[in-house]
Amino acid sequence: MLKSLFRLKVFVSRYRTRLILGILAFGTARFFEAQVPLFLATGIDRIAAGNLNLLLPVAGIFAVVVARFAIVSSARYLVRSSGIRVAFDLRQALYDALQQQGSGFFNRYTIGDMMTRAVADIALIQRLISMGTILLVILIFASLFGFGYMLYLSPSLTLLLLPPLPFVFFYARWASGQMGVASKDVQDRMSDLAAHVQENLSGIRTIQAMVQEDNEIARFRETNQAYSNAFYAQARINSLMSAWMPSLAAVCSIIILGYGGYLVTQGRMTAGELVAFFFYVNMVVQPFRVAGFMVSLFQRAAVASDRLFEVLSLPPEIADHPTGDAPPAIRGDVEIRDLSFTYPGQTRSALSGVSLTIRQGERISIMGRVGAGKSTLLKQLVRLLDTPEGTVFIDGVDVTHYPLSQLRSQVALVPQDPFLFGEPLKSNLTYDDPNRALDEIWSAAASADLKETIEDFPERLDTIVGERGVTLSGGQKQRATLARGLIRHAPVLVLDDCFSSVDTETEEHILSELTRLRANQTTILVSHRVSTARHSDRIVIMDQGRIVEEGTHEDLVASGGLYAELERIQREGADEADFDVLGVTS
Amino acid sequence: MSAPAGSTTSRRDYSMFDAELSGAVLNMRLLRRLLGWMRPYRITFGTSAVLVLLASFLQVLLPVILSIVVIDHILMGTTRSVTPDLGMVDATEWITGMLGVHPLVAACVLYGLIYLVFAVVSHAHRMTLVSSVINGLRDLRQDLFNHLETRPSSFYDRVAVGRVMTRVTNDVEALYELLRGIGTLIGEFVPFFVALAIMLAVDVGLTLLLLLALPLMGFVTYFFRQATRQLFRLVRLTVSTLNQNMQENLSGLAVVQLSDRQRHNLGRYTEINRENRSYELRSARIETLYGAFTDSMAHLSLGVIIWYGGGDVVQNTMTLGGVILFTRFIDMLLQPIVALGEQTNVLFRAMASGERIFQALDWDEKIHEPPSPVKLPERLHGEVRFEHLNFGYDEDVQILHDVTFTIRPGEKLAIVGPTGSGKSTLIRLLGRFYDFDDGQIFLDGIDLNRIHTHDLRRRIGVVLQDFHIFSGTIYDNIALGNPAITREKAEQAARRVNAHGFISALTLGYDTELSERGQNLSQGQRQLLAFARVLAADPEILVLDEATASIDTETELLIQDALRQLTRGRTSILIAHRLQTIQEANRVLVLHDGRVEELGTHEELLAARGLYYTLHSLQFQNSVSAS
Repeated sequence: MLKSLFRLKVFVSRYRTRLILGILAFGTARFFEAQVPLFLATGIDRIAAGNLNLLLPVAGIFAVVVARFAIVSSARYLVRSSGIRVAFDLRQALYDALQQQGSGFFNRYTIGDMMTRAVADIALIQRLISMGTILLVILIFASLFGFGYMLYLSPSLTLLLLPPLPFVFFYARWASGQMGVASKDVQDRMSDLAAHVQENLSGIRTIQAMVQEDNEIARFRETNQAYSNAFYAQARINSLMSAWMPSLAAVCSIIILGYGGYLVTQGRMTAGELVAFFFYVNMVVQPFRVAGFMVSLFQRAAVASDRLFEVLSLPPEIADHPTGDAPPAIRGDVEIRDLSFTYPGQTRSALSGVSLTIRQGERISIMGRVGAGKSTLLKQLVRLLDTPEGTVFIDGVDVTHYPLSQLRSQVALVPQDPFLFGEPLKSNLTYDDPNRALDEIWSAAASADLKETIEDFPERLDTIVGERGVTLSGGQKQRATLARGLIRHAPVLVLDDCFSSVDTETEEHILSELTRLRANQTTILVSHRVSTARHSDRIVIMDQGRIVEEGTHEDLVASGGLYAELERIQREGADEADFDVLGVTS
Repeated sequence: MSAPAGSTTSRRDYSMFDAELSGAVLNMRLLRRLLGWMRPYRITFGTSAVLVLLASFLQVLLPVILSIVVIDHILMGTTRSVTPDLGMVDATEWITGMLGVHPLVAACVLYGLIYLVFAVVSHAHRMTLVSSVINGLRDLRQDLFNHLETRPSSFYDRVAVGRVMTRVTNDVEALYELLRGIGTLIGEFVPFFVALAIMLAVDVGLTLLLLLALPLMGFVTYFFRQATRQLFRLVRLTVSTLNQNMQENLSGLAVVQLSDRQRHNLGRYTEINRENRSYELRSARIETLYGAFTDSMAHLSLGVIIWYGGGDVVQNTMTLGGVILFTRFIDMLLQPIVALGEQTNVLFRAMASGERIFQALDWDEKIHEPPSPVKLPERLHGEVRFEHLNFGYDEDVQILHDVTFTIRPGEKLAIVGPTGSGKSTLIRLLGRFYDFDDGQIFLDGIDLNRIHTHDLRRRIGVVLQDFHIFSGTIYDNIALGNPAITREKAEQAARRVNAHGFISALTLGYDTELSERGQNLSQGQRQLLAFARVLAADPEILVLDEATASIDTETELLIQDALRQLTRGRTSILIAHRLQTIQEANRVLVLHDGRVEELGTHEELLAARGLYYTLHSLQFQNSVSAS
């Protein structure tokens, strides 16, 4: 546990002066606080003796309280602010580290998992520093001063009070363990419940169409009951804890009453001192009651720290080491030499021995069934995957020799999944360069057949899209991402299945725009439709990670291979026999 | 907020589902309504109230034993002091006599006994309270869910699902906090009043003097809340902005990296992070000051007690034990104010949640059911007739105009038309997802408005573009809780629609658990599963909204074949996007601007050279030019 927490050293040590000052201040504050029962005892004893000279104890208490107030408020602030600052730094570091990861990383970890680390784990570490430190410091100083003064007042009574204390500590520890299990259960049941509601409301049309309301209501009753049960179990542990913890303190009270009272009758202790004992025991027991909570705070923060450093200590997924031999501007010749690639953790290779030469200004279409390796190939061009050295060359220079930012800005890839940010359309279309001129945006939108759609929105380019704004249809999203790619006028444009949700008419328009705008620039596109591919300079058919056919539409139709078969099916429609041709088993 | 009356959707204010409600005051009407859900558990609830009184009384006795019995009576030898002892002196003497022990021992025994009873009673109080609250809120949540589950499509068209969802989760959760908070306050305030009564009996002057601390604390607490309320809100706001920013950045990370925006985005994140840090630091500053202040009040009061009490003791109006009693009671006196301060935020937030919950419960929008529905025969023939149907979602925008056509039993009808021509509306009305009164639809000659929607929808199988997965196994998703659909029947259906292949390739086959939104299935597989589901249910009429996205050719083949199986011998209405689907239909209906433009076979319509011909040559260009 300590080893895990020690990893936080880099982040905490920046604020060590603050923290140490805060801890010292806490010690001083506790010292002042410990004076209060002493003055109280003096006061009570003077009253008992009929001595009305109470100025000293009363003034003493007032002075101590004022001093403590000043010190303790700054002590707490020093410690808490350190926690806040560490959390700030951790968030920055995590964000930075995550931006340098890629698909390999996100195959292993989900975004939800990363969000939990960013939210819950950092919060745990902040709590450890802000709260855990304070609790630990209070526990140490309270025990030190509390026991110190009690020993000074009556060593024998103090020793008698020691036996119950370990019980307080161990019970507290055990109970907070129980509590941890119960709270986790409550949280899990709560997320079940939330998932259930979410699932139901988003599928409400299907549910009602299938007349599943009663079924779903019955199912929800179970989820709802499970949550209630978990909640009750947690409340029970909580309540038992609130009953037992003070009981152990009550045992101390009885010891003071009995033995302390005896000492008073014997004249070996004053009534005031007896009362002071109650205050000191309280001072000592109070922090012990939260000791278990404190231990779990440390434990959970240790786990959180491990989880954070698991990400923070990862090297960037794609190394950016430009060699300096790359030309400042890319012309657009692409050469792939015997490229093989296997995804980490998989045995079957996604690409094997792919070689392809594309000249500047060519339009190449890539086709093939799902899993043929089309997207994998495209990602290698811009190093979204870790492209092996000596396999992909642009203008004759190995892609790994280019600075990453140059490569990705001059070879523009539009990914398959049309992702838009929850921002105005304008920012989405100019995502790579927010300073683009308005007419540039409109002309790209027109090329992607998005202009009329935008003009239909009351806010036009300022329309916010995504969850918090206007929901675009699949086709609209795809056209928006196309516009985002077109606007860059990159020497090489790579479109990964970007026409699947647009109708053939729109597709024709965009393809003719591509021809018009990119006569001297290289365009590579993936598609399922023969209609998209047929007008390309060359068509490449991939299967099982290899290039199996290559040529013009006419060549490939004439050769009677897979492409010819696809062309026939898409033209005529399929009959039963085609299942066998395509190797499909139904 | 009264329930909106009537069913005219355009008259309702849906924006209230998006508005941020803030409960500014303690709303008694709302609390009373909330208590309505507690009614079935009132005995448990009442027991809990009795127990808290008992526990508070016992709690107060403990300091009395220390100060009056031990200090005054046993140690100082004060007999029958002016201070009320609540019978504790007699009890101690009785135990002394019974056990024949020293009075000090007897006092210890009494202390232990009372403490034990106190611990048990408070535990019982907490558990009875929690149990009644949990049950009441469980029922409330269930009622809310049931209510939402039965709201019509017109409701879900206009509200964001996320907003509605938080009412069932977060808002009900806030009510737990509210009731728990009230429980805490009761636990603090009852001992407060019991202690106050005893203190007044002991020394009115000193009690009143100490009570002066309350307005001071209340004042400071009020200012503290005022100062932090806005800050806390800003902290929460910046935290959620931080999370949104990160979540979105990670979801679109490929785009971020392809656009080389990492540095820019980190800069934006840093800005929000900085803002958040400054609010956090400011609220920490205020909170630490306030925390130190409330601690100090208790200590200052000790000084006051010594100073004032000393005088009274000398004048014999108070005993030493009385002074000590005050020092032990002081926490009970001050704690409620602190607790009140802590709970106000929770309270206000819960008030707003309560408002939102009741607003949803009061939302009475629904599909009107016939007063005496017609009972449908065992098996329908499947004739569907639209007669002069006019419809609009809003009163001023009409979508369908005088739609009239008939589908013969077992016929396959393809509906085509440009986006927004009313295709989806037509099939929604057929399932009576919206009320309509201008024109009629007949099913085997029976007016649709005379059939109960549940009965109607069981006869119409709908496959929407987006297939909804219910969590559960693949089998569960095919059978949908219908006991008549056995394992064998489900498998049979899956075989006929070509879904058996991919299902049996999964390790667990039909027992494979599907995750939320079915992410572990491809789009094509989801479509096939949707077909299997409908085929298993075997409705008389099939309605299909064909998916627009193009999929790879082999899956496309499987789907086309499955569709042939599904429509065989069944009245089918297909909103078609694929040429093949249209060609296989018996007739094609062309819808344009909500009017039936053309109706006939594919060949007839092509020959007519009308709208269908244009649509066809535009949308299926390649096929036309190739043929």
